[in-house]
Amino acid sequence: MKLGIRLGRMRMKNPTMLASGILCNGSLLKRAAVEGGAGAVVTKSLTREVREGYPTPVVVGVDCGVINAVGLANQGFASYLSEDLPLAKEGRVPVIVSVAAGRVEEFEEICVRAEEAGADAVELNLSCPHVEGHGMEVGADPAAVSRIVKDLAGVMKIPVHVKLGLSDRMIESAVAAEAAGAEAVVAINTIRAMAIDVDARRPVLTNVYGGLSGPAIHPIALRCVFELYRELSIPVIGCGGVSDWRTALDFLMAGASAVQVGSALAVRGIGIFREIEEGIRRYLVKNKFSSVKEVIGIAHGVKR
Amino acid sequence: MLPENSGRQGGGVEGALSYSDFRFRPARIKKVVAESPKVKSFYLEVREGELPRPGQFYMVWLPGHEEVPMSASDAGADFIRITVSREGETTAQFHRLRRGDSLFLRGPFGNGFSLEGKSFLLVSGGYGAAPLIFAAKEISRAGGRCTYLSGAKNRSELLFLGELRRLGVEPLVATEDGSAGHRGLVTDLVDAVLPRGKYQRVLTCGPELMMYEVVKRAVGRGIKVQASLERYMKCGFGLCGSCVLDPVGLRVCCDGPVFDGELLLKTDFGKRRREASGAGVSL
Repeated sequence: MKLGIRLGRMRMKNPTMLASGILCNGSLLKRAAVEGGAGAVVTKSLTREVREGYPTPVVVGVDCGVINAVGLANQGFASYLSEDLPLAKEGRVPVIVSVAAGRVEEFEEICVRAEEAGADAVELNLSCPHVEGHGMEVGADPAAVSRIVKDLAGVMKIPVHVKLGLSDRMIESAVAAEAAGAEAVVAINTIRAMAIDVDARRPVLTNVYGGLSGPAIHPIALRCVFELYRELSIPVIGCGGVSDWRTALDFLMAGASAVQVGSALAVRGIGIFREIEEGIRRYLVKNKFSSVKEVIGIAHGVKR
Repeated sequence: MLPENSGRQGGGVEGALSYSDFRFRPARIKKVVAESPKVKSFYLEVREGELPRPGQFYMVWLPGHEEVPMSASDAGADFIRITVSREGETTAQFHRLRRGDSLFLRGPFGNGFSLEGKSFLLVSGGYGAAPLIFAAKEISRAGGRCTYLSGAKNRSELLFLGELRRLGVEPLVATEDGSAGHRGLVTDLVDAVLPRGKYQRVLTCGPELMMYEVVKRAVGRGIKVQASLERYMKCGFGLCGSCVLDPVGLRVCCDGPVFDGELLLKTDFGKRRREASGAGVSL
């Protein structure tokens, strides 16, 4: 049973990806690929400057997921691309460099350098819910999305993916991204949220607001993917609350060509990618499908 | 690739974690003990049935301040103990707490020491004594023998000597200023005792360069050695990757914090660590 898929010009041995901001560093991205079985890995979001991130606590569990406000901590794109990207590439699966920036020129500088350093694609983080001026406002503004993607698509040889968050204008932004030359849309990012500790009587996260991920957001993400599949002809990558093969497969059925996995690593371990792959394989065999492509978008009832 | 005594994280294994394990819970302080001018122990009330293993740690938060990883230094039916050295702003705030105040915990996280065997050499440096005194208690309880080497800058920073003696363990001491025991480094004591004793395992915790020397000596003699590492952590449960050991990709929080020495020598242990941004710095 073949689980390989194509994501625009990118080929993956299976439809699972490590989501941005999880494991983060090069040697762990390699481990997600080699030991975990991920079909592709995404780096943490790189910025132009070194960012320490917010003071702890920056991550906290809730009933059905995790809320984080790490604050786009990273060593700056130059250091990451020279020290971590080569290690990540030893995993021998596509490595997608996530990029966060405040201005078009910053996006361009980092993306071009990522391409030179050997990235297989870039993923524009237009949806970080906890750093001002670095995402959510941009992703919710179709004209801004169009400007950034058009600029990059004009200079990049590798694919440009756009990661959008939950917003009223998500569909418009996705359509704008496609028209401007994006090769895939990732939906969704974490959803702006918070946690209050009743014993401490205060917000838990130092930044107060963070992004909710995990099983709690899966049905919302699923709806987004379903809607995007109807509006787009480029591939959609589902992200949000994938915990096992079922929550990966329902994303595929809604129209995702691949899925990203993040928070579930905390409870299922790095081997979750292989677990998902095996679960999907068993389902496909049992139900007499001949490839994973046959289930992509199947929940829409009509073949596209 | 993982050490045999890897932490709880993992696919569907017994005792696997759930998201609510990553919440904080309050733990009331039952008792505060000054262990040295710089170090205090806090005895905390805990949930029924909760027993960390020696080497496991908690993420400890004081609301209004930061959250820091802390090894358990002892545990009993109704308490756990953490031992805090005053190193910065957050730990200074911890030191102002009194009986009846609360700290907020997540955990216990991580794997802990493997304590199979009968004959141990424990090598502690500074506040690295915290998980080792706990290990010494477990070893004694199980009928094992241990030699305990304790190093510190000076006499007043030597920790838990009385507790060790009550366990029947006579600690060998080294101080940098010679105010107690051997004048010099604890690794000098390691050089003196390691060739003579028949140790099945060496356990160490302390400054990383000290542990690196201990690990090299033990591995060189073919003796199993485990070190408990300290790294900057953001989440404590394996998601953020901040505490990674390169190039193997081991996370101190959930693949450790205790690692086998042979595995550590394949990493940047003793050479490099990552800061909060992820940037690497030489030790």
